[in-house]
Amino acid sequence: MNSFASRLKLPYRAGAIGLSIGTLLVMVVASVILLPDFMDPENLSNLLAQSTVLVISALGQTFVILTGGLDVSVGSVISLTTTIMTLDLPEITRVLICIAVAMGFGVANGYGVARLNVHPIIMTLTTMGIGQGIALIILPIPGGRVPEWLSGSVAGSIGPVPNSLFWLITASLFASWILYRRPFGLYLFASGGNDFNARMNGVPVERTIIKAYVLSALFACAAGMFLAGRLASGDPKGGASFGIESVTAAALGGVHLAGGIGSIVGTVVGAAILGTVNNVMNLANVSAFLQSVVKGVLLLVLVVSQRRKTIGL
Amino acid sequence: MSTLVEMVGINKSFGFTKVLSDVRFSLERGSVHALMGENGAGKSTLMRILAGVYQPGAGSVRLRGEEVNFRSPKEARLAGVSTVFQEFTLIPNLTVAENMFLGHEPRRIDGSIDSVEVVKRARALLADVFPQLDATAIVETLTVAQQQAVEIAKGLTSNADVFIFDEPTAALNSTDVAHLFKVIRDLKAQHKAVVYISHRMNEVFELCDTITVMKDGAWVRTARAEDFNLQTLVATMVGRELQNFFPPRSQATGAAMLEVSDLRLDDSSSTVTFVVRKGEIIGLAGLEGQGQREIMRAIVGVESPKAIAVWRAGPDNSMHVVNVGSGFARAVASGIGFIPEDRKQEGLFLRLPIYDNIALGKQLNRNMASVAWRSVSKVREVIKSLRVAAADPNAPVGKLSGGNQQKVLLGRWLLSGVDILVIEEPTRGVDVGAKAEIYRLLRDFSDRGGAVVVSSREHAELIGLCDSILVVHDRKIVGQMSAEGATEERILETALGASASPDPRAAVH
Repeated sequence: MNSFASRLKLPYRAGAIGLSIGTLLVMVVASVILLPDFMDPENLSNLLAQSTVLVISALGQTFVILTGGLDVSVGSVISLTTTIMTLDLPEITRVLICIAVAMGFGVANGYGVARLNVHPIIMTLTTMGIGQGIALIILPIPGGRVPEWLSGSVAGSIGPVPNSLFWLITASLFASWILYRRPFGLYLFASGGNDFNARMNGVPVERTIIKAYVLSALFACAAGMFLAGRLASGDPKGGASFGIESVTAAALGGVHLAGGIGSIVGTVVGAAILGTVNNVMNLANVSAFLQSVVKGVLLLVLVVSQRRKTIGL
Repeated sequence: MSTLVEMVGINKSFGFTKVLSDVRFSLERGSVHALMGENGAGKSTLMRILAGVYQPGAGSVRLRGEEVNFRSPKEARLAGVSTVFQEFTLIPNLTVAENMFLGHEPRRIDGSIDSVEVVKRARALLADVFPQLDATAIVETLTVAQQQAVEIAKGLTSNADVFIFDEPTAALNSTDVAHLFKVIRDLKAQHKAVVYISHRMNEVFELCDTITVMKDGAWVRTARAEDFNLQTLVATMVGRELQNFFPPRSQATGAAMLEVSDLRLDDSSSTVTFVVRKGEIIGLAGLEGQGQREIMRAIVGVESPKAIAVWRAGPDNSMHVVNVGSGFARAVASGIGFIPEDRKQEGLFLRLPIYDNIALGKQLNRNMASVAWRSVSKVREVIKSLRVAAADPNAPVGKLSGGNQQKVLLGRWLLSGVDILVIEEPTRGVDVGAKAEIYRLLRDFSDRGGAVVVSSREHAELIGLCDSILVVHDRKIVGQMSAEGATEERILETALGASASPDPRAAVH
C-alpha cells in the first residue's frame, strides 16, 4: 500500500502500537535522566544482547498469536538448540540438526492445533515438556562448547555497531517481509480475523496455521543460536523463561491474543519495553521478586488500556 | 437469451435428513430469477450447491453448458459464480481491496502480493459500481450496506456471470435497497444472471422476471413473474391461501403501561418521550440508523444514553420509575423483556436445546443460590402454545429456522412472565408463513394485557401489526400516527419532512 490514506489505516491492524511506542519512549527518557549508568556503552550493548533473544523469539511468537494461537514451547526449542550446538559433531551438522529439530517441533505443534484440533496451549505445553526433557538428556548441566564462529558472530561488532543489532535487524526485516509481502502474511491476518470466512474465500487456513508454528519454532531456533553464541556454551534451561516472555513481549506490543491484530514493529517495541524494564531494574538493584511484580503490573496496565475490539462482523 | 446455469435432479441430504430431492433450476443470461419458498424449503441449500459450499448427493450442475463440480466456494467464484450470502464472508480486519482479492491476489514475479496492484484494480472495479467505497478502508469499520457492497464487488474481481443474492435487503434501509436494485439491474443489462432470494414480495415483483418456487426441498413451479400475483405466489409457497396475514388491531387500549420520558441519546439530541398503553403495540419507524435501535436499547438498559427516565405501571396502575440506567437486569426484574434483532448472536444459545433456551425465562429474576427446578411441563406448554415446529425440545436451537428461533425467544419471555416486550425486527429472516404467526403471538401478548414496542425496517409490517407508529428521525421522534391510517409514503414524508436535508447517515453508498 503506497497511498497516504492506506498508510494512515495500517495501524488499525497493528493494534495500539502508539501506546506501546509512547511507553517505551517515556521509559527510555526516564531511565536516561534517573539512571546515569543506563547510557553507559557497555550497559547499552548488554541491554541489546539481552533483548535480542527476546525479540527474535517474540517475532516467531507473533505469527502464532496472529492466528489466535499461542506457542509456549518456544523456550524449550531455544534451550534445546543451545544444547545441540554443543554436541560433538561436525559444526554444519549441528546447525542442520537444530533446524530439523525446530521444524519437527513446529510441524508437530501446527499439525496438532490445525488438524487434530488440540488447544494451542495444551499442544505446545506437551511439546514444551518433550523439548525440555530432550535438552536435559543431551546436556544435564550447563556447559559444553559451541563453535567459535557462533560466539564471534554474536559478541563482536562491526565498527561501532554491535553484531547483535545485525541479528535483530535481520530477524525483524525477514519477519516483516513474510508478514507484509508474502500471501502467507495476508492469510495469517485473514485466518486470525475470521477463520470460517477465510476458508470460504479459499484461504488455506490449516496450512497457514501449521506454517505459523513452524516459523515460530524456526525463529526460536535462531534465538537459541544467538543465546548459545552469547553464552559460548549450552544451557538446557537457558531458554525456559522465553516461552512466557515472548508472549508478554508481543502483548505489550499490541498484538491481540485473540488473533488478527498485531505488527512486527509492535512486537519489537514490546520486547524492547520488557528488555528495558529488566535492565533498568537490575541497574537500580531491585530485587528479582519485586521485578516480577512490576513486570506483571506493567503488562496488566498496558493490555487493559488497549481497548479490546471484538473481531467479527 | 441463453441458458447459463442448468441444475438437474439435484439431491442432497444432511445425515438422514433429506433436504433436496430431485430439484431442477435453470438460469438465463440477462435475467433476474427469484427463488422463493418458506424457510427450510431448500433455497439456500440449492444455491450453496451452485456456489460450491455443498456438494450435491446426486444430480448435475452445468455452467455455460459444461458440467461442473465445485469443491469449494473459491472454485465456484473463479468459475464465475459469485454469492452474496446472508451472512457475509468478509474478513473484518482486512481492507476492502484485500477482501476483494483474497485467495487470488495479484502477485509479483517473486510470488509476493502486489499490494499496489491490489488497490489499483479494486479501485477500478469499484469506480463503476460503488464509487463511494474506499478500497483501503478496513471492512470492520464499514456499515452493513457497505459490507454488502464489498461482497458484490468480490464477484466483480473474478468477472462472474452468475450472482446469487441470499436475502440481500434484510439489513438494508430503503436508500441502500434502491442502490442495490440499480446494481442488480446493471448486472442484468450486462447479460449476467442474477438469482434473488428474498422474503419480501414487493421486491420480487419489482425486480425479477422469473420466479421459481420451492417447497419442502422440492421444486414446485417456475414461471414468468407476470404469471404470478401476490396471492398465487404466497399460496404456491405456503401450499395454502394465507388469510388474515395481520391479526386485528386492539379494540380498546387501557391505562399507560410504559412511559419513556426525558430520553436523550447524546448531548445535542432533543428529548424522546412516548407512552405505551395496556393492550397496545407501538412501532418505531423511520429510515435506517436514525436512532431507533438506540432508543429501543436505551429503554431496556442494554445501551446507556445520555439521560433516561423510564416509568412503568404497577399493579394499581400507578407509575413508578424503573432504573434502567443500572442495566438490563433492572428492566427484566420490573417485567420488561427484550428480543434483539440479531437473535443468533444476542438472543439465543444456539448449541443449547430448545428446552433450555425457553426454561431460562423461568430462572431470570431469581437469585444465584435458588434451585433451578426442571419445569418440563411448563416449557412444553409454551412450546405447544407457540407451535414451535420441532418435535423434540432437546434439539439445539441453532438447527431451527428463523421463525422457530424467534418463537423460542418469545417463549422465554412468556415463561418469565413479563408484561412489556421490546422487540427489534420481529420477523427478520422469518419466512412468510411464520411471520403471520409471530404477528398473532405478539397481538395475543398485548391482548392479554401486555404492551409491545416494535422496531422494523419493513414499514408495511409496522403498519399492519401496530396500533400506533412513532416516526424517528435524527435521533428524535418527529411524528406519531395511528397505524390504521398510515402508509409507507406518509411515514417517509414525516421522517424526511422533519429535516430539510436528509441525514447523511441515511445514505451510505
